[in-house]
Amino acid sequence: MHTRYVTACLMGAVSLMLLIGPACSKKEIQATSGSKSSERPIAKAGRADSGTAARTEPGISEQDLLKPGKDPSAENLQGDIPGDIKVAKVQPSDSTSRIAEDIRREQVATAASGLKDVFFAFDSWNITEEARQALSSDAEWIKANPNSMLKIEGHCDERGTQAYNLVLGEKRAKAVRNYLAELGVVANRLAVVSYGKERPFCKERDELCYQQNRRGHIVVRTK
Amino acid sequence: MSRMRVVVLIIYLAVCAAFVGIMESGAADVFLEATRPDFEKIPIGVLGFQGKTAVAGSAEQVATVLKADLRRSQIFSLMDLPKLGIKVNDVDDPEKALFKQATENGISVLVWGKLGVKEADVVLDGYVYDGGNDEVVAGKRYAGPSSVLRLMVHRLADELVFRYTGEPGIARTKIAFVSEQTGSRELYVMDYDGYAPRQVTADGFLNLMPHWSPDRRFLVFTAYRSRTTQDIDMIELATGKRWTLASLGGLNITPAFSPDGNDLVFATSHDGDSELYKLDMRTKVLQRLTSNSASDLSPSWSPNGREIAFTSDRGGGPQIYLMSADGSNVRRLTYEGDYNAAPAWSPRGTWIAHVCRTPTKEYKLCVVSPDGQQRRQITAGPGVDDSPSWSPDGRHLVFSSTAEGKSHIYMINSDGTELERLTSGGTHHSSPSWSPL
Repeated sequence: MHTRYVTACLMGAVSLMLLIGPACSKKEIQATSGSKSSERPIAKAGRADSGTAARTEPGISEQDLLKPGKDPSAENLQGDIPGDIKVAKVQPSDSTSRIAEDIRREQVATAASGLKDVFFAFDSWNITEEARQALSSDAEWIKANPNSMLKIEGHCDERGTQAYNLVLGEKRAKAVRNYLAELGVVANRLAVVSYGKERPFCKERDELCYQQNRRGHIVVRTK
Repeated sequence: MSRMRVVVLIIYLAVCAAFVGIMESGAADVFLEATRPDFEKIPIGVLGFQGKTAVAGSAEQVATVLKADLRRSQIFSLMDLPKLGIKVNDVDDPEKALFKQATENGISVLVWGKLGVKEADVVLDGYVYDGGNDEVVAGKRYAGPSSVLRLMVHRLADELVFRYTGEPGIARTKIAFVSEQTGSRELYVMDYDGYAPRQVTADGFLNLMPHWSPDRRFLVFTAYRSRTTQDIDMIELATGKRWTLASLGGLNITPAFSPDGNDLVFATSHDGDSELYKLDMRTKVLQRLTSNSASDLSPSWSPNGREIAFTSDRGGGPQIYLMSADGSNVRRLTYEGDYNAAPAWSPRGTWIAHVCRTPTKEYKLCVVSPDGQQRRQITAGPGVDDSPSWSPDGRHLVFSSTAEGKSHIYMINSDGTELERLTSGGTHHSSPSWSPL
């Protein structure tokens, strides 16, 4: 059986030489035909590093065939071939329900506080006159509730890249924090986070919706 | 000598020259450019797969997957055999007449195969013929559980690409992306053609911008594990093992590994505004690369690891800049338009894809040459396009777009042809990142 396989490999070498012989060096040809499987020269030519378990998709075997109809025996089947990315099954976790519950509690506390959000112009993080008024009343509430901890979320509309909107969202959140600090709020009570355009309040694609999403959202933290 | 052989010889000569060049110079800049306009695609025909003992319909599925792979390869011109009167499907053993007929119609390469079962496994045999000859020039047998049948076909497609170009095919590469199925945004990995998405994280909130390690074993990404702080996390795909690489306060976004995997560059705002930092993966030393009062983000390494393209708004709006990998020699690359961001350096080094705002205020994909001399817009129409990422052969881009309403992942040829949507269902898909080979 083994002899037949070697013969098959040699036949492959001969046909490859006929096809490409004049073009490539002798060394290349040997690399192509001498190995057990033609997968090897591919690894040499194109892949920087292979052979780790992570690249092995278990269960596929591969071998060379030269003639239709000839049924190679099972011994000739090669083992796993490196080259495929394996992804472990995701670990089930309870964090989804826990986070949903945390968010719900924050929403209830925030709604009860009456804190006002502020809104921004396109591609801007300037605090507008309307925003100043909202933040003045927010500052009063924060000073009147000295045990509360707050979070300022910066949000953006869907225009532009995800990455640049994360930067813009942070600029908005920091602008809100700085203005509240100017009004006398102790800055270390104010956490800042940017969600860019990743957690929009409104999902339509019109200016009314975009306006809703260009937001500094002030949240009462519950933990 | 047939025309086919001449083509093969020319390609092999070029490949040999290219490989010798790479080995000697260590640079990837001399790679064969098979997508240049005068490249003549190789006419190929798929005779079909005989599947008498296989599950009904699976042999046809094999032919469909193979044809899609060959079309996407951009190496082959897929010929419509039935239209030419050439018998396909369930051909028992191709007759000599078929090859003659194919040659007369200008078809150089023919593929035929068999799909069967052996114990619990499916067995796929693929045979290659060329030059009008009924002699098999290559044959491959793949065996495995039916769940990996598509992967077997992808292997056969990659084998054909390698045989006729000397380059590895991309049919077995993967795409990492962010998907929202039930409210939270999690990381997923899917086959390059959009099949078999597998969930990678289950945090229940928000994960962003996955990026592959060069050895394809890991993803790095931005995680909001506490909802209020961002970390750069790393996950090993095969085991699901996960840890935090950087947790500096402020933004920690857009991580990108150097081509040798030794350094990770990312943007962090822990010092105030967003700046680029380089983390040495071996010593864990953190080095600041940019220093100014503007925002710097979205680094993308040149394939030789010597330079980094990035987004900066130091000139007002966001534009693409280049610098050396140590942060020196910063210069602006883009001048056309008032918004250019999210650069992605092509694997052959010849283009930098990015998001460009058009005169009609649409966010589309453009490419610019690293010397800034050439620029082309790749996508058009409505919707926000984002996060371009190159296929490892440089012939495709994958990106997200809201062109159809919800954000989906799309693949497009790097010349702007053959747009194909890869995702379906869910409420949001974004941040695609194409795996290396």
